[in-house]
Amino acid sequence: MGIYGFVRVLAFFTLLSIPVLDVVAKVRIVSSIPNLASIAEEIGGRRVEVKSLAKGYQDPHFVDPKPSFVLELNRADLLLYNGLDLEVAWLPVLITGARNSKILPGALGHLDCSTLISNILEVPTTRIDRSMGDIHPFGNPHYTLDPRNGIPIAEGIAERLRQIDPNNASFYEERLRGFQERLAAKIKEWEERLAPYRGTEIVTYHKSWVYFSNWAGFKEVGYVEPKPGIPPSPSYVAELIGKIREKKVKLVIAEPYYPHKTPAVVAEKAGASFLVLPSSVGAHEGIDTYFDLFEVIVDEVVSILGREGKDN
Amino acid sequence: MGTRWFITILSTVIFTFCYPGIHEEAQGDERDELRKEIEQLRHQVEIMQRRLMELEEKNRLLEEKARKQEMEEEPGRVTSEVVSQRKEGFFQRFIGAFNPDISVIGTFAAAYFSEDEPLGRAEADPENTGVNLQEIEVAFQGSVDPYFRFDSFFSIGRDGIETEEAYATTLLSLPLNLQVRAGIMRSKFGRINLQHRELQDFVTLPLPAVSFLGEHLNPVGVEFNFLIPLPWFLELSASVNNPEVEVATFDRDENANNIGRLLYVFHLSNFFELSDALSFLLGGSFATGSNGTEPGNRSNLYGVDLFAKYRPLRGNPYQELWLQSEFMYRQAEVPRGNLDDWGAYAHLVYRFAKRWNAGFRFDFVDTGDPIKLEKENELEMEDISGFISRQHEHGEGESILGLFGREKRYAFMLTFNPTEFSRIRLQYEISDPVFEKLSHAVFLQFQYSIGPHGAHPF
Repeated sequence: MGIYGFVRVLAFFTLLSIPVLDVVAKVRIVSSIPNLASIAEEIGGRRVEVKSLAKGYQDPHFVDPKPSFVLELNRADLLLYNGLDLEVAWLPVLITGARNSKILPGALGHLDCSTLISNILEVPTTRIDRSMGDIHPFGNPHYTLDPRNGIPIAEGIAERLRQIDPNNASFYEERLRGFQERLAAKIKEWEERLAPYRGTEIVTYHKSWVYFSNWAGFKEVGYVEPKPGIPPSPSYVAELIGKIREKKVKLVIAEPYYPHKTPAVVAEKAGASFLVLPSSVGAHEGIDTYFDLFEVIVDEVVSILGREGKDN
Repeated sequence: MGTRWFITILSTVIFTFCYPGIHEEAQGDERDELRKEIEQLRHQVEIMQRRLMELEEKNRLLEEKARKQEMEEEPGRVTSEVVSQRKEGFFQRFIGAFNPDISVIGTFAAAYFSEDEPLGRAEADPENTGVNLQEIEVAFQGSVDPYFRFDSFFSIGRDGIETEEAYATTLLSLPLNLQVRAGIMRSKFGRINLQHRELQDFVTLPLPAVSFLGEHLNPVGVEFNFLIPLPWFLELSASVNNPEVEVATFDRDENANNIGRLLYVFHLSNFFELSDALSFLLGGSFATGSNGTEPGNRSNLYGVDLFAKYRPLRGNPYQELWLQSEFMYRQAEVPRGNLDDWGAYAHLVYRFAKRWNAGFRFDFVDTGDPIKLEKENELEMEDISGFISRQHEHGEGESILGLFGREKRYAFMLTFNPTEFSRIRLQYEISDPVFEKLSHAVFLQFQYSIGPHGAHPF
């Protein structure tokens, strides 16, 4: 075999090894919830492998800590989670079982995404206790429902990816910029569509839409749950119906995983519309990205409020 | 701050030394003048204090404004800086300190027994007709450092305090995906032995657990847990323990300080996910160690456990159905022969609404050939006391080693959880032993827990 032959063989093996290396080099990201997983996918693209533990159609407060999740975390390079005690009932036990130093608190592969958010809402400043319901002591954890928060989250994830996988730093940088530009443009578009409905008074099932309302300019005047995590009693429901009528609330919102009977009845009796809105990527078919999620939310809200406007 | 303190101290000093009451000999006029001066001084001090507070407030507002502006200019700035900017409430400051998580769980049960002397049960089971304290569990948990976390549970019962568990767990990556636990632990033998009372689905402990593991098998030891690299979850646990436990099956061999006489517990756990909604946890256990009845005597305990859960994630998320079942078989070398006892339980629980669940349990134990001993025996009663049947008082002058005979039990349960932190549970139990007549029991259990949200294992 001459030098040509040698080069040819070398080239052959090099070519063979490229896809293999590519697979090996992928950064394994495990996210507790799908919204963060989706943003990570946007930043990491083909250089990462992203897995979400909770499914989009599942209540993220109550996820079974399945042993198979331990396997996922055991192999993870980067753990993303919502924080603010959203996953407190199931994630800590999984992290302990994972026996993976890379994702322990304080490590590079451990990212509590709430630390990326500058304006956490509803942080209790006085003493709280559980007679007030299942209050999250560090503030309301549902911040991914404000699309503007997608920008710092993406930045934080990109920062970690750059450090974990420095060889591809420019790749992540580029994708981050692309994502931020697209998201910023979309946010503008969504804001324009929602603009006519600023100040709309709404009622939600759980206190999980405060960030969305804050962004859309909606005013939350009541909740189907009398206290976080506490199902409504008949007398409370009656009171709520009165309140909705009195304040002329147009919209009652609940996530797909909350019971729909009570909020539907409340809305019907009070003359408001009941809307089941997805709060997660993967909540139903067709919501595959963070963009899809808000596209659907904005579509639904605008179409129902637009209809109401015509009816009146 | 310093200025305000200074003024406060100054005014205190002025008050102490200039207050007329101290100088009784001073003349009336002088006193009045002094008083006036003091009044003026006090007034001035008050004005200064107010002014200071106003200034401080102004300064704070300015700082906040500047900070906000900074953040608006750089919306993407992250991590530590942003965190420190958050307003902290009392609660966060408390949690932020290096305190372990502290929780207290109280479990009580009102009970009615149809028999005057119900059969012996587990330590924390309700004992008498009336209201019973089952257990008060106090837990302290937290990370020690980047390498270990430490979990401790103390159970306060009718007979004092017991260390239920107190162990360290390694957190870091070790070769072979090893995780080590060391300390006092509920041994990984089957499933119910790992479940603290508040995680159990019924008021009483199932019969095989009571008979072979006692309230719980929790020796002092070291446990090695390996995650076997397979596509599904497979964990192999092996532990070496001190056999001195309050369990009918194992005890220290008085005459041996021998590595072969320690208590060894092995567990293999498999997790299969057939779909998002349906999963199985299947395990096998083996425990072997000396039993203290005579030098060299051993007990072997075998177990099979199954936990199956069906929980559809779409639709009503609070509907779930689970089955928990265990089989245990015990062989023990005792004076005058070998004991063969076995038992099993299975319970099915259906959670039909967010806060409600109902369930049925069947449990039984049986024995091959119980061994009778004369009480005035050549053997020391102490050594075999652990093996004396809990129904031994049936006859005068003799003791039964091992189980007495077949005993079956049926239990029906209805549970209401007002929140995740409280529970009210109603249970009806029929006990059907071959050696006694049928008996009934009704329990109403109350459970309350305070402290941080504990994460439940699967």
